[in-house]
Amino acid sequence: MVHLQFDRVTKRFGDVPVVETPFDLSVRRHEFVVFLGPSGCGKTTLMRMVGGLDAPTTGEIRLEGEPVGPPDRRRGMVFQSYSSFPWLTVAENVAFGMKYRTDLTETEKAVRAEQYLDLVGLYEFSDHYPNQVSGGMRQRIAIARTLAAGADVLLMDEPFGALDALRREQLQTELRAIQRRDAKTVVFVTHDVEEALFVADRVVVFSKRPARIVTQIDVRSRLGDERTIEMRDGDDFFALRRETIGAVRAAAGDEL
Amino acid sequence: MSLVAEAEGGTSDVAGSSVQTTAPSARRPTARRGPFRLRAPLPRGWDAAVAVGASLAILAVWEIVARLGLTTPLFFPAPSTILSTMARMISDQNLLWHAWVSTLRVWGAFLLAAVMAIPIGVAMSGYRVVGAALEPAVDFIRYLPVPALVPLAIIWFGVGEETKIFLLWLGTFFQLVLLVADDMRRVPNEYFEIAYTVGANERQALKDVAFRAMLPSLVDNLRISLGWCWTYLIIAEIVAADSGLGFVIWAARRYMKTPEVMAGVVLIGVIGLATDQLLRLLHRRAFRYLRGA
Repeated sequence: MVHLQFDRVTKRFGDVPVVETPFDLSVRRHEFVVFLGPSGCGKTTLMRMVGGLDAPTTGEIRLEGEPVGPPDRRRGMVFQSYSSFPWLTVAENVAFGMKYRTDLTETEKAVRAEQYLDLVGLYEFSDHYPNQVSGGMRQRIAIARTLAAGADVLLMDEPFGALDALRREQLQTELRAIQRRDAKTVVFVTHDVEEALFVADRVVVFSKRPARIVTQIDVRSRLGDERTIEMRDGDDFFALRRETIGAVRAAAGDEL
Repeated sequence: MSLVAEAEGGTSDVAGSSVQTTAPSARRPTARRGPFRLRAPLPRGWDAAVAVGASLAILAVWEIVARLGLTTPLFFPAPSTILSTMARMISDQNLLWHAWVSTLRVWGAFLLAAVMAIPIGVAMSGYRVVGAALEPAVDFIRYLPVPALVPLAIIWFGVGEETKIFLLWLGTFFQLVLLVADDMRRVPNEYFEIAYTVGANERQALKDVAFRAMLPSLVDNLRISLGWCWTYLIIAEIVAADSGLGFVIWAARRYMKTPEVMAGVVLIGVIGLATDQLLRLLHRRAFRYLRGA
């Protein structure tokens, strides 16, 4: 079932064409889609348009069949930096996701905040401030906040870009598990091939700007649903990685 | 899921960042040791000790120079003379009342400037159209020297309190409004976007996020502009006043009572220093979260 639909979307910022060739893509409900492409290629802009933070120049993006409007809490964003508020504690940051919800009582909000803190393993850091925890934990705060807000689409802009390799791997594994457990639709932007393949059901490979789809890789049919750290050393993963890098190189080649 | 490794990693991450800050001094291990190494940290508590020690030393030299008769008291009275003069002025000339009057004027004008500058400054960088409309005027007035506007102030407001408040306000508002606009501009876009994507409207994003994000630097800027108020106070009180520290200083000058002039000046300095330190302390208390683990 289609959750998210890009329908002949183009985007220009002034004279700069970011997406020139009309962009079409359907994302199924509960699908984990990764936009993979070089920095500045326009993939982030496409993702932001889903969140309502930018608007297409032409074309339309539909969420459950309805054209997307201004931002709301069904579409949660996780940024690479400034992803949490430094003046709120970890728990308050998570609870901020529900600050403007009127459908929950204060007690329900408190219970829910604890649940999500626990889910991302931050319960014992509830009273810390973001400056007092690691970069990885700060990204977890952001993930918990969007989940607490009740988002069913997570929009993630290189969320693990600032983390070291080990922590990235760990967060990728957790994110994948959370996405499966809570049945979320995810659009995840990265320029890291391994990251893309490790978390995705499907990888959409972008050209450099103006963005168009070079190829799509159905990762799920190759690696299955479950992703473990051991898989990263497996032959399947290596083969897939080689193919993907080939596709990315070819794309770059034809632009040069 | 268990995240113990991550938690441990967290502390080492913090340690990693502190290593970075000491890196410049570690780069040349064979260079000089001690506090005169470039960017060397001072041991705990030394800051205050050095500050007090150096200040006392300056006072001591000053006292000795004056006592030895190397200067005439008419030009350069000793600190002890200034202090005893100040004590006499407190009992005979109502010095503390004058100080109180000056403080009220400073705070009155400062609060007026702040109350106006904060919303206007926020609007200037929040809404490009407001910024474009106001920037030329603000920039123009900002460069006018306050003393040059004294005659105008007197024409407009006479020689009452309004003139003084106006001059102080003039000296601070136009500077402050641009600083506030800058504070607002520096709030990362991501903060607004987080607010919007959890369902905030623009007003909520401004109040709950942008204002909170800019608060530490806003308070810093308020503290700095409070200092400017004291500068302009003297100008305002010299021109037209029969009260306040500026008046006291200016009246004493007329009779060449140098110790009284200096007593007034010193008192301003003391009030300024005390206020500034108090505000810094409150800043540290209120914004603990800015510091890491």
